[in-house]
Amino acid sequence: MKQTLIILFCGFLSYQAQGQLLNKLKQKAEQAASNAAEKKLNEKTGSKSGGTTTTGPGGTSSGHNPSNTGGGGLISTPPDVKQNLADAEASYKTKSYGEARYAVQQAMLGVEMEIGNNILNSLPETVSSLPTEKSADQVTSTGYGWAGLTIHREYLKDDKQLRVTIANNSAWMGAYNMYLSNAGYSQTTGGTQQFKQIKVKGHKGMIEYSEGSGYKISVAIGQSSLIMWEGVNFASEPEMMKAAEAFDVDGIKKQLGEQ
Amino acid sequence: MKNIVTLFVLTISTTAFAQFGTHLASAKAEYSKGNLEASRFAMQQMMTELDMQIGKEVLTLLPAKLDALAANTKNDNVMANTGLLGCVIHRDYGTEPKDARIEIMTSSPLVASINAILSIPMMGNSSDGTQKVVKVAGYKSVLQKSVDSETKKENYTLQIPLNSTLLTLFADDSKEAEILKWANTIPVDKIAKMVQ
Repeated sequence: MKQTLIILFCGFLSYQAQGQLLNKLKQKAEQAASNAAEKKLNEKTGSKSGGTTTTGPGGTSSGHNPSNTGGGGLISTPPDVKQNLADAEASYKTKSYGEARYAVQQAMLGVEMEIGNNILNSLPETVSSLPTEKSADQVTSTGYGWAGLTIHREYLKDDKQLRVTIANNSAWMGAYNMYLSNAGYSQTTGGTQQFKQIKVKGHKGMIEYSEGSGYKISVAIGQSSLIMWEGVNFASEPEMMKAAEAFDVDGIKKQLGEQ
Repeated sequence: MKNIVTLFVLTISTTAFAQFGTHLASAKAEYSKGNLEASRFAMQQMMTELDMQIGKEVLTLLPAKLDALAANTKNDNVMANTGLLGCVIHRDYGTEPKDARIEIMTSSPLVASINAILSIPMMGNSSDGTQKVVKVAGYKSVLQKSVDSETKKENYTLQIPLNSTLLTLFADDSKEAEILKWANTIPVDKIAKMVQ
């Protein structure tokens, strides 16, 4: 009888242990399946979520908002100048001055983008052995005239970089002219030289140096334009000057209609 | 007399179009020749012409009188800024010390801060009664009061944002009910449409 009881007790324990083991196995299997499904989903949506903090296959606890994975961005074609001028004329004749103004603004935006692209195309492909970073080419225009047109290009090789920015009808001009007329920013003989007035191809300008950002040359062209070069990891002032002189400053000035 | 006035108005309109037309023709011709900068300059001139024209049209919409205060039309002024700041339209009424003036600025940099005041209920109304939010022709507006420390007279400023344009009515030596009554005689809707 005693033996029978012992056998039954052992059987019961074994059953319990098996049940716990099965439960654990079941839980593990569920967790593995959930992780696998989540991984698959993340692979499909491109999400980098680790998967441990998510609450369900949707990946977020706030609902099922999908992340955007396509669309191709906005069309960057500039406005049609001729069409907008025609629209402006038609609107003006019907006394829709607000509409006419909008059309002229769009035409201005279109023509400024063309000017910017022409200037961008006229810039050298290589400067101081640094090739152009085509992806960084940028023409920005507000079409307002006052805020102006900005053209930006970068040249890069390893850790050496040259950034050139041309600003037309720029609001910075006031600050820049203050620079040139303020004796405080002129050349000093003692201490660390941080500002110096220079000439780039006959155009008055200023060179600056800072340990953190490198060299910066700013040259005013005409009444309201500014060309600025920023050189990172250039070895010396002459090297930086040589890089700036690789640009056809007079050509840029002419294209911007500056005197 | 009516014919003379009509002729005068037509002459002004024709002159204005002549200038706009000249700049338009220049913009088109220079663009076709590839002189982009010259074309752009002509377009800037067109913008100025348009701003002036819009300003003049708005002036015709403003009331000739604010109660007993007659418009000083000789002081009417439109100042175009070519572009970002749009234009400033000015008309004043009455004579000192009791006078009023309307300033309309398109693309005003103040619109953002006025809209912030209007959108936050706590900011709109001050406990000392110097500022409150009111409605004029359906447009939420900010009314501010200041008291002259010497004369103890009340001066009011009413700012009505219309998209990016700010219409401001200043009234010196006035009362709240008075400035609100005057504001309601201004065709705000039509002006908003015109400067849009």
